[in-house]
Amino acid sequence: MKKIIKYITVVFTAGVLLNSCETTDLDLRTSPNDLAADQADPNLLLNSIQLAYVANMYTINDIGSELTRIDYMLGRNYFNTYPGNTFDDIWERLYSSTDGNGDVFTSDVDLGIFPNVDNLKTIDAGSDTDYSFHIAVGQTLKAHMLLLLVDYLGKATLSEAGNPVEFPAPLLDDGQDVYTGALALLTEAEALFATDPATQGAEDFFYGGDTENWIKLINTIRLKAAITTGDTSTFNSIIAGGDYISETADDFQWQYGTRELQPDTRHPDFQDDYTSSGAGLYQNNWLMNNMFVKNDPRIRYYFYRQVGATPGAAGEPVDEELLACSLAVPPVHYDGYIYCSVPNGYWGRSHGNNEGTPPDGFQRTAVGVYPAGGRFDDSSFDVVGLGLGGGGGGIEPIFLASYVDFWQAEMATSAAAKATFLESAMTKSIAKVQSFGSLDSGADLSVAPSETEVTTYIDDIVADYLAATGDDQTNILSEQYWIALYGGGVEAYNYYRRTGFPTTLAPNWELNPGSFPRSFLYPQTEVITNSNVSQKSDLSTQVFWDTNPAGPAFPSAN
Amino acid sequence: MRTKLNGLLTLLLALVVHISFAQQKTVSGTVTDQGGLPLPGVNIVVEGTTTGTQTDFDGNYSIIASQGETLLFTYIGQKAVRKTVGAGGNVSVQMEEDAQALEEVVVTAQGIKREKKALGFAVSSVDEEDLESRSEGDVARVLSGKASGVQITAAGGMSGSATNVVVRGLSSFSGSNQALFVVDGVPFSSDTNAQDTNGGGSNFLTGNTGSSRFLDLDPNNIAKIEVLKGLAAATLYGSQGKNGVILITTKAGSAVGGKKKTEITVNQSYFVNEFASLPDYQDEYGNGFDQAFGWFFSNWGPSFEESGLSGWGRQSAIDENGTLEHPYSSTAVRATREAFPELQDTRYDWKPYDSVKDYFKPGSVSSTSVNINGASEDGNTTFNANFGYLDDESFIPGNGLTRANVSIGGRSKLSNKFTVSGAMNYSRTDYSSPPIAASEGNGTTGFSIFGNIYFTPRSVDLLGLPYQNPIDGSSVYYRNGNDIINPRWTANNAKYSQLTTRVFWNASVQYDINDNLNMTYRAGLDFYNERNEQYSNKGGVQFPSAIFGFLNTYDNNNTIWDHYLALNGNYDLSEKLGLTFNVGATSRSTTFDQSGVASTGQIVFDIQRHFNYSNQSPIQYSEKRNIAGLLGQVTLDYDNMLFFTASTRTDWVSNLTTENNSQTYPSASASFLPTAAWPGIKSEKGLNFLKLRAGLGQSATFPTAYPTVSVVEQNTQVYGEGAEVTTNQVAAFKANPDLKPELLSEFEVGFESKFFSNRVSLDFTYFDRTTKDLIVREPLSPSTGFTFTQSNVGKIEGDGIEIDLGVDWIRSDEPSGFNWNTRANFTKNKFIVTEQEQDIIIYAGSSTLSVGGNAAIKGEQLGVIVGDAIARDADGNFLVDDGGDYITTEVDIDGNVPVIGNPNPDYIMNIINSLSYKNWNLGFQISHTKGGDIVSNTIGTLLGRGLITETLDRENTYILPGVSQSTGEVNNKQINNSTYYFNNILFGPTELKVYDASVVRLQELSLGYTFPAKSLERTPFGSLTITAQGFNLWFDAYNTPEGANFDPNIQGAGVGNSQGFDFINGPSSRRYGVSIKATF
Repeated sequence: MKKIIKYITVVFTAGVLLNSCETTDLDLRTSPNDLAADQADPNLLLNSIQLAYVANMYTINDIGSELTRIDYMLGRNYFNTYPGNTFDDIWERLYSSTDGNGDVFTSDVDLGIFPNVDNLKTIDAGSDTDYSFHIAVGQTLKAHMLLLLVDYLGKATLSEAGNPVEFPAPLLDDGQDVYTGALALLTEAEALFATDPATQGAEDFFYGGDTENWIKLINTIRLKAAITTGDTSTFNSIIAGGDYISETADDFQWQYGTRELQPDTRHPDFQDDYTSSGAGLYQNNWLMNNMFVKNDPRIRYYFYRQVGATPGAAGEPVDEELLACSLAVPPVHYDGYIYCSVPNGYWGRSHGNNEGTPPDGFQRTAVGVYPAGGRFDDSSFDVVGLGLGGGGGGIEPIFLASYVDFWQAEMATSAAAKATFLESAMTKSIAKVQSFGSLDSGADLSVAPSETEVTTYIDDIVADYLAATGDDQTNILSEQYWIALYGGGVEAYNYYRRTGFPTTLAPNWELNPGSFPRSFLYPQTEVITNSNVSQKSDLSTQVFWDTNPAGPAFPSAN
Repeated sequence: MRTKLNGLLTLLLALVVHISFAQQKTVSGTVTDQGGLPLPGVNIVVEGTTTGTQTDFDGNYSIIASQGETLLFTYIGQKAVRKTVGAGGNVSVQMEEDAQALEEVVVTAQGIKREKKALGFAVSSVDEEDLESRSEGDVARVLSGKASGVQITAAGGMSGSATNVVVRGLSSFSGSNQALFVVDGVPFSSDTNAQDTNGGGSNFLTGNTGSSRFLDLDPNNIAKIEVLKGLAAATLYGSQGKNGVILITTKAGSAVGGKKKTEITVNQSYFVNEFASLPDYQDEYGNGFDQAFGWFFSNWGPSFEESGLSGWGRQSAIDENGTLEHPYSSTAVRATREAFPELQDTRYDWKPYDSVKDYFKPGSVSSTSVNINGASEDGNTTFNANFGYLDDESFIPGNGLTRANVSIGGRSKLSNKFTVSGAMNYSRTDYSSPPIAASEGNGTTGFSIFGNIYFTPRSVDLLGLPYQNPIDGSSVYYRNGNDIINPRWTANNAKYSQLTTRVFWNASVQYDINDNLNMTYRAGLDFYNERNEQYSNKGGVQFPSAIFGFLNTYDNNNTIWDHYLALNGNYDLSEKLGLTFNVGATSRSTTFDQSGVASTGQIVFDIQRHFNYSNQSPIQYSEKRNIAGLLGQVTLDYDNMLFFTASTRTDWVSNLTTENNSQTYPSASASFLPTAAWPGIKSEKGLNFLKLRAGLGQSATFPTAYPTVSVVEQNTQVYGEGAEVTTNQVAAFKANPDLKPELLSEFEVGFESKFFSNRVSLDFTYFDRTTKDLIVREPLSPSTGFTFTQSNVGKIEGDGIEIDLGVDWIRSDEPSGFNWNTRANFTKNKFIVTEQEQDIIIYAGSSTLSVGGNAAIKGEQLGVIVGDAIARDADGNFLVDDGGDYITTEVDIDGNVPVIGNPNPDYIMNIINSLSYKNWNLGFQISHTKGGDIVSNTIGTLLGRGLITETLDRENTYILPGVSQSTGEVNNKQINNSTYYFNNILFGPTELKVYDASVVRLQELSLGYTFPAKSLERTPFGSLTITAQGFNLWFDAYNTPEGANFDPNIQGAGVGNSQGFDFINGPSSRRYGVSIKATF
């Protein structure tokens, strides 16, 4: 018996000891599930920066387009339509990181800009390898984002950003200071690009590692800053230098793919509109009608009609089930505007319409082949669906040569000079848009506007422009600029607040939607965590370069 | 013949008695309890001698004694009985319950057994009769309402869905508040893994269909549950015990010494499981909007009458026979038209269909449990074996659960001062469900079967329409663009399943050094493998995972090793002063290891193997944490009336820096029995027993995972036509090397009392708890470069009361008389955030205010619901827009995030009645939760879509009370019924979806019949009981719209710290049936 006891004791003791190493190890602090901070690969950090940037550009392009009737906005009241979380993702993706949230990438992968640029700098400082290219790309994209945040929010964080120990509650810097800081980042980036650094194997999604193009982009961003703030001399001196995006070949844009799944690389609008259960987006009636009336050669590229007639349009029966407003009498404030139904099957919605969603997925107009990579409208009135048209392999336009021409038109002092730039801008824009037709291999491109038709159109518009006077003249230029901005409307919102044109915008569905937003609420994610930031009470705050009268006197549309 | 023999024997006996008068003789008899049932194991001694015996299983005994001598009968919990041996040889005794029934022994922390009267803290006990033969296989749900201070919330009425178990309210908001389960002395993982992969964290809106792992326990195998509520009670469990401890003693683990005969108990139950919360759908109007027909989501269409303002006679789409073009004929989807040639140009009746009711067909629950226990001849070795099988088929298509349990345990007292015991449990739980995710009434937010089913318009014939395209297997449904997924397709083509195999064993050895000292070593291993398989075929709509199909298969392996070594002593320092102590060391190691494969892009329809999918990515995540602790406890007792206990524990944890990784927390408690100190205050008709107690306890919370080291996230397949783009991203989480444990301290006082011949018992507890250095998932300003960190900020203070009342209204002296007993428990607590650096931390739910979340706001109750609210002017009037609808705002008048509700109930009360007469007994439990708010998307959807009776009055117009924002005048804009419900309730401010969640519930009702022993004489049964039972037979959430029939017992955002949300999580379940218990 004693032996047995001894035996049991030995076994138990041994068991305890053997296990204790495993179960009493008190230093298990490193996660096996991630890379350690110093194991990051600079090339892969740069991927995050570029993807975060384009996710943000997509969202801001959308917001800018919605307000300016280039895209459709749902919501009768501006303040409710753009609540405090509107810029949360954009803000987090610039300063920290946040996941795709369906903005561009359907995955839930975290992406951000600031911390990765900082990490690149740390790695560069401690390495023999030169990561100047990475840093320069990072600083350039960062600078553009900062400028846009000031444009949309009025203020942004820069001097105290990215330093949680010293500044746990960073102050917002004034818009002017952020602009200055962003331009300094561009100077830093330009100096790095000037040495033509090697990419070290990094993927440059925009320019394939061509530093000359990056310098052109830097100058174009400077042009954008100059025109926004009305800095004519800087604008003119950069133009005189000639080193900016002036050719379509230099266009700064993001190329989407056609892969549907894991990852979904398609244009986000295509993802929404080309589903097996119909289109998910509405197009804006004002823009469609404007292009329809003008017979704009881009209309078949921008919009894909699934039906040939819109209920309630002249000569068409109404349809309460599919288009409720076709039954309604337009309110007084819509006098002179298209209220519900654009003719010929351009089936969209007017600004602010908040009606419930009818089962019209196979009737409403979808995005076309430009820029979303959808279908070319060859009047076949077929339906949308997975993989149709260009399969979503479109682009996110960011800085196009045509946009720069419109800026030059704006800055030019004589009508003749403006007309020259207008012509050149339209030519570049239409040519680029038309080049997308081939993406839809199944389309009958014979219905596409011919070269002559295009030339006639351009000539007519330019002639109209020169013939017109006053606001009408500016409206012609502005409308053309906005048509060209379709898909990349970030600057439309700036332009509208800067100039008040075009004055032809359709009104909001609601007579009293609140005054037109002059800037957005600060991101709620920052407001509730940062004791130095307090929220605005409305959307009427004007950004530093917006010296126009306060609303509702300005701008003209509600 | 037998009678004759008996007679003869009696005669013989009488003769013997006569002869041996005043001589020693054999005295025999039967000992029964108050209710007349035989009492086994009663000790019988002949006073003044060493002669003694015990009753056998049938309560019979025999002993040698002389006439005139006194027999002393003693039994735990019963009054001692003395009987003088008379002339006869038969001395039968009916024992009575002891006035001092509180002398019962309870198991406390680390398995230390204590007399209940010595405890300075509150303990609730639940016995096996309250646990067995239940229709729920989930022990936590069975426990619902049985003990004060314990709050049980179901994640829904699905069979096998998760359950939230919180004791004494929330003490922390970043850490877990789930109670610790300890089975046979060893911590038992009760995780709910939420089926998350790669450490993704529980995503609020993607839902959770996973089970909580206490589902692996068979309630029929439980002998007793003790709930240790306070910190003073749970100190010895260390940080793990800070949320309260559910101490479970299984039948296998409870084998106590003593002679008994082998007994086999069989328990067989059969229940019907059905839909309890069917809304009261209206049958006057059908699909459409503004009284016009359309294949919409909404049910604001024309009426089912031909005539009238809203009659279908005015609809062009409906012909004079009241029929429509069949939706599969009028659909815009060519593929659907081509797939159903037989339906083209056919007509479809315009009438109401009971789609929702017919969709949820009643299921059934069958449960079998066999228990065998016995002992060796000398009573030193006991054993118990239990087999259980549960088959729970839900009323929700595709949802079900089967579980097999085997457990074996035993204990042996060896002759050499060693006592060894062990128990081994094996379970295999197979759970499956359709996909469930949060939905908000507009299609669904995540891939979920419930989102689309609840608002099926009345005129849509869900069960009559084909749900699958016969050509390619894809989903088809009534909408013109086929843009919502058919719930029947989902049930048939998508499945989430979890097959859990679990082994849980413990073994302990005790060595008695001498009469006063012993050593205990206990080891426990809890290992489970959760095999998860989730898939959807391709061909769905709305969700990429359903459109393209997906398959995830992965294993979660979780291992807990637990060791405990202690020295226990027990000394009498003087005649009146006793001392017991325990000192020990313990270690606990938890390893979670997940690995598997995720695939997307199904190639051939309906084959769910990875080779049949285009893309694969790995699922891999692991986490390991060790906690080592030293503990000690000492108890002094003075003259059985004053008890004092002090204990301390120090823990070290593996995932913090050495400077911060340990925490010591002492506790103390005392109890005093005035009725023992001054017997004069006792009286039979007045106070019978009084105990006063006080306790002071502390505990710590340690963080999980790896919060002190910063990381870079790496993801593959982020972009690129060949999925070739990989990203590295500096994590948004800021590591905090200074993180330290949070400290909880609690003070509790209470009393336990008995009155009026023990007819009334009253227990009362007041506690006050403070959590400081709260470990918070602190949101950071994103402009700092990080969006969150874990840090020690903030403080929560709260208090509460728990009352348990028992009354014997009628107590019969007759064994088969009428008895009526009521037990009631009452719980109330309130926790306030008293210190916090941020304005607001939304710690559960969504920070998107249109969805809503639970927040910690300084000065407010923990968990208040924040969300968007109705805008108000400076005078507090509601603001209305020019369309006549309420204006939504995300900031209140002071510029803060609006608080729109408080989910914490005012109190929870349960009343349990049991009545018995002869062989019948009747029991029922009524539960009442008073107050507490819930954001109900189910109600919002039923109203907003015009489905339930509340929405019938739809031909009138309404004016919302408030002032017009643009004019400042009193609102006079008329809106119609659908605009009110659709624009405001459903899609307006979240505030309008907040309801008071007060609910009264008939939780249980049972009627049992026990066959009289006599009638079983010629059968193999020792006892036989048949019980008819029902659970959740009736409920009324009396402050919610009647027609919604909404059950607010719902954990909308899954198990965790969220409260007060319903995201169309699914219906609640009602169960009723019969169970039979037989012993052999």
